[in-house]
Amino acid sequence: MNEKITPEESLLLISKTIEETKQRFKENGHIIILWGVITFVVFASQYIFSAIGWYKKFDIIWTTALFPLGAIYTFIYIKKNVYKKNLPKTLLTRVIGTMGWAMGANLMMLGLFFGKQLGDAMAPVFIILLALSMIVTGASIKFKPLFIGGILMNLIGLGSFLISRDYHGFSLMLGALVGLIIPGILLNKAHRKENV
Amino acid sequence: MFNDLDPILHSQLRLSIVSILMTVEEAEFTFIKESTGAAAGNISIQIKKLQEAGYVKVEKTFKNNYPNTSVSITRKGIKAFEDYVNNIKKYINPK
Repeated sequence: MNEKITPEESLLLISKTIEETKQRFKENGHIIILWGVITFVVFASQYIFSAIGWYKKFDIIWTTALFPLGAIYTFIYIKKNVYKKNLPKTLLTRVIGTMGWAMGANLMMLGLFFGKQLGDAMAPVFIILLALSMIVTGASIKFKPLFIGGILMNLIGLGSFLISRDYHGFSLMLGALVGLIIPGILLNKAHRKENV
Repeated sequence: MFNDLDPILHSQLRLSIVSILMTVEEAEFTFIKESTGAAAGNISIQIKKLQEAGYVKVEKTFKNNYPNTSVSITRKGIKAFEDYVNNIKKYINPK
């Protein structure tokens, strides 16, 4: 693989190599779907448990178990798929990675220690922060459904300030659906299609 | 009429390596090996040539107690790649 090549072959080789390299570290939506489903399940279960009178018993278990489990899974997934496969560093993966852990750490801190101070603004702030990370990710990887889903989620977050706290769980579920689950599934489909 | 094509870059494997490095900030040796499908020995030789020309920077560290080589492109390498692409474009389309 070291012989001289024609200018045409050179240009073809350059574009092919660059495209193949980009494909290797393209986002597959897996983690986005995971967090969408976790958010949806946690808040849907709150309503269900509340309706059947188990609210106090299960709410804490779900929210304290599912979110940390999701964080542990995300950590293992990234370690396995990024570090072990020796994927290279790019500006894009660095920006998305840094934003992901910074956002996750802030959401966890807000939820664990500042719930009282945030009061009724807790859910809207959560949704807006999640939406911002999806907008930035969508714009960075040039994937419109994620970008649009992030904007819709942002609007849901802002709209949540206008409704009663009793319905904030629904806002979180709706935000997770339009901002995370649906764009995540579309991203996963696009990724599979490109890799066929 | 045409600028001579850079002999360092005008070789299939070296051009592949530089194209990969133009896409990322830095790449590990194993990634370059998987991406190009070339033999480790051959890649080492070509990286050394690129390093001697000042086109790439090689860093040898340890990762989980194993030697780890990461390669990144230098400013000189980026300039050489851009000039090379412009020159082959002129060859293909002389107008």
